[in-house]
Amino acid sequence: MNRRSPRILAAGALGATALGSGVALTATSGWLVVRASERPVILTLLTAIVAVRTFGMARPVFRYWERLRSHDAALDDLATARADLYAALVPLTPARLPRRGRAAMLAGVVDDLTERVEAQVRVTVPFVTTALAGLATVLLCAWVEPAAGLVVSGLLVVAALTTLLARLLETRSMDALVAARDDVARVTELVASQSLDLQAVGAGGQAIEWVRDAQRRVARASRVQSRGRAVATATLPLATAVATVGCALVATRTDHSAAVSALLVLAPFALAEVFGTLPEAARAWARASAAERRLSQLLDERPGVAAPPHAAAVSAAPVITPADRKAGTHVPHLRLRGVGASWDGRRTALQGADLAVAPGQVVAVTGPSGCGKSTLLAVLARQLDPATGSYLVDGQDALGLPVERVRALFAVVDDEPHVFATTVRENLRLARPAALDQDLLEAVGAAGLGAWLAGLPDGLDTRLGASGRGLSGGERARLSIARALLSQRPVLLLDEPVAHLDHPTALAVMADLLAARGERSVVVVSHRPEGLAEAHGIMDLTRTTVAPRDPVPDAVPTLP
Amino acid sequence: MRPVDPALLRAVPQARRPLGVLAAVGVAQGVATIGTAFALSSLVVAVVRGAPVASAAAYLVVVMVARAVLSFVGETVAAAAGTTVSSALRERLLDRWLSAPAEDRPGSAEAVTLATQGAASVEPYVARFLPALVTAAVVPTLAVVTLAFVDWLSALVVVLTLPLLPVFAALIGATTRDATERRWGALADLSGHFLDVVRGLPTLVAYGRGERQVRTITDVSQGHRRATMATLRLAFLSSAALELLATICVAIVAVTVGLRLSHGSVELGTGLLAILLAPEAYWPIRRVGAEFHSAADGAAALASALPQVSRAQPAGREQPANRPVSDGAEPPSPGKPGNWPKTVVVQGLAYSYPGSSDRVLDGVDLTAPTGLTVVTGPSGCGKSTLLELVAGLRTPTAGAVRAQSTHLVTQRPFLTVGSLRENLTLGTGPVSDAAIWAALREVGLDGVVAAQPDGLQTPLGDDGRGFSAGQRARLVLARARLADADVLLLDEPTAHLDDESAAVAHRVILDLARHRCVVAVTHRRELLSLADHHVALRATAAAPGVPA
Repeated sequence: MNRRSPRILAAGALGATALGSGVALTATSGWLVVRASERPVILTLLTAIVAVRTFGMARPVFRYWERLRSHDAALDDLATARADLYAALVPLTPARLPRRGRAAMLAGVVDDLTERVEAQVRVTVPFVTTALAGLATVLLCAWVEPAAGLVVSGLLVVAALTTLLARLLETRSMDALVAARDDVARVTELVASQSLDLQAVGAGGQAIEWVRDAQRRVARASRVQSRGRAVATATLPLATAVATVGCALVATRTDHSAAVSALLVLAPFALAEVFGTLPEAARAWARASAAERRLSQLLDERPGVAAPPHAAAVSAAPVITPADRKAGTHVPHLRLRGVGASWDGRRTALQGADLAVAPGQVVAVTGPSGCGKSTLLAVLARQLDPATGSYLVDGQDALGLPVERVRALFAVVDDEPHVFATTVRENLRLARPAALDQDLLEAVGAAGLGAWLAGLPDGLDTRLGASGRGLSGGERARLSIARALLSQRPVLLLDEPVAHLDHPTALAVMADLLAARGERSVVVVSHRPEGLAEAHGIMDLTRTTVAPRDPVPDAVPTLP
Repeated sequence: MRPVDPALLRAVPQARRPLGVLAAVGVAQGVATIGTAFALSSLVVAVVRGAPVASAAAYLVVVMVARAVLSFVGETVAAAAGTTVSSALRERLLDRWLSAPAEDRPGSAEAVTLATQGAASVEPYVARFLPALVTAAVVPTLAVVTLAFVDWLSALVVVLTLPLLPVFAALIGATTRDATERRWGALADLSGHFLDVVRGLPTLVAYGRGERQVRTITDVSQGHRRATMATLRLAFLSSAALELLATICVAIVAVTVGLRLSHGSVELGTGLLAILLAPEAYWPIRRVGAEFHSAADGAAALASALPQVSRAQPAGREQPANRPVSDGAEPPSPGKPGNWPKTVVVQGLAYSYPGSSDRVLDGVDLTAPTGLTVVTGPSGCGKSTLLELVAGLRTPTAGAVRAQSTHLVTQRPFLTVGSLRENLTLGTGPVSDAAIWAALREVGLDGVVAAQPDGLQTPLGDDGRGFSAGQRARLVLARARLADADVLLLDEPTAHLDDESAAVAHRVILDLARHRCVVAVTHRRELLSLADHHVALRATAAAPGVPA
């Protein structure tokens, strides 16, 4: 994906023409002025006058053309890169994405991709442009006077080395700066969104100290980083001045006409403007490389589920027929025997888990943090291959069945449901594209959102998400449940669906969910036992077997 | 738009020094730029005349060394100024919100945006735009003034043509503004689409819709490209037009100089100088335009942040939660806090949320002396609001609250990313490890914490992840135990606990109430039975309250 598109190189050539025109403009103007001061016949100046005028016009025109072409090419590449990245992320989802802070991490991926593609405009184009315009200046000078050509090529080498040095300096502090900025953003968000909680315990002063600490780290890292740019902005003009003086010395030692001597002095000096984009390009280069590194780290991960099973297994897989699924009748029998799994192939996240879910049962999975509750759900949902043990769906080895078919049995509701920036209708229909409005309304009602929907100005056409209406935590959880119900998938997997909700809301959401589940089986992971009085079995993963139905600890507030 | 709002310098005094240095460096750079033109023209003249070049060359090198040093300092100072100003602004915003009652704070989402992206966008504004602005003010002025002395005719041409640039820019701006604004909304939607579907990737994959999204992404991204290019074309075209205009103006200067040179009415050195200085009068103005695009967000953020930070400050700088909230009648004597009776007195208290005229609390009277006071009442009758008012986190609509330093344990245990020790000492002041362990023992968590490999250093996730709801509730009780506040306010402290842990917690609460004033809101009968005093709140006028 990291190709240098020929269109970008073409844009670079256009840019070089613009910059070259700038150099030529300065050089020919110098020639013209000196020649004019010799008071020749005006006609002999005409060619030079036309040249000056042409170069003067060419610079803005070619610059406009270059910017248009380079941006268009970069945006086109961005479209392709986005689609490619998305396709590459699909098999890594969700097993290879971090469970916490996933949304922030994915937003970072989007930024990194943009950074990498924009590097074409912000890095490749300036480099190509500078190199070509510089080479043209070298050729011009060398044609007039080879020694001057040598001086100017020396200048180009210094410029290239300076850019590399700047990039090195910037890269060195890049990770520290990114980490420090992330830290400031995290702490700031915490303080800004939880001012009341901090005030409540009188921790305002401490909170400000956190922010100060994080900001001090940013200031330090940015000081180090700014050195790269500062070195480049200081060195480049200085090197240009030295080259100008060098060319002046060359000109005095040769017997060119006065006008040509002026040209030899002014041409290298005009390169100072050409080099103006290099410091910024060096920084963009360092950033793009860092973005590239982070992206490839993620994309090099192996999918959490092995390649689709061989053909024989597919043909012998009549577990659920599409007709069954459509009618929503067949609820499978699920069985885990001695299942162990690991997210990274090193640390065991789940060990020797036994679980049986008969059709229509509600099974609660509890246990302390890190005991593998979510891992168990990921194995059930075929998001993660088990490392040991067996997983049977209706008595058949689930690993032998097509992944998509097993996945289609499960509707997963987690505690970070995403609300898309589109209408309520589209937000629901992604779970079942063929659903009619009537189905949507039923699902919404069953999820306890009927009153909410009735209160929306445009009903199902109301826009949600970033640019639309905001949703409370409870509404978000219920929307996710409505999707799950709408999907008609026969097993609901609930991963701490109410962890973010306050107690009464959590209670109400769970009660509505269990009432609406119909024939479906439910496996729920929760450290809060709200509304699980109905559970047919509690699986405590510290014991890793399903206990017979025992009473759920009663933490429901005793209302007076 | 004013380049530097004086309100910024008032509200963020830390900004004064770096901004002053930036301006000084900018002026020095302007002088050096003019000096360069002199040095270069004398070098060219020396070369052309066959005169010795040594002194002109030395002059040029000296000027360029000066420029290099100024560039280095300028870049460094600009970067530092950017972080200093944006950090100081962020700190002032947060400090202000942390010392303001809830009504005076913007909503949570708005606050987060302003303090994160908003403050961050001030950085390029200061680091890039302001230096460009200084250059734009200094260099053209110096160039014109110098030209006036060197060659007044060229100066006249520049003075006559220079105003064309801003006029032309305004004309282009006016004709393209509507088109740009029309596209802006659509553009924001399109560019947000990819972020939206990537964030929603887990949801889409869960419903087997991931693969199908790829096609949509290509389509939407291509739409985004077309819309962006339409906007960019206008922007690029107008900047090309301005550049062309500047080139033509320089050409007019060059033509008059050339004509006068060929008539011998002007010296070569003068002519060269005029031609080198003339572009300096036009260039910086164009650069400001280019930098302004990256600074627009920063300017907008400053505009919304400054009113927040320049609002009148409360007299003291202490934390409001620890500040005695007083109606002014009897200020607690600060000299002997130990002797002052630890009480809460609430008289005729009423409260309505900002933007609402309905009173959640109306005419509430309450006196809570040292000991355990339990507040009960139906859901939604304003019990939590009452505690927040007593803690000074909200300003009463009517009535008065008098309380010593308070520590409020919110209904949802407030725990945050950080070590256990950091969380347990939030707002407690310096506390020894022994005291922390003692507090943990009292809430029955010492065993759990000791079993963690890192003990008190054990990291806590967001929201206290890693501990169960019951453990979290007991952790914040341990913190309350460590706080040196005279008044402890507990909002449903044991709602999430099973009966056994609740009994432990109730014992701790009772123990706390021996020396302090403890006000607890609860639904639990067991806690009510332990109370020294009971206050039953009724729902306000509309719904008849059901006292517990």
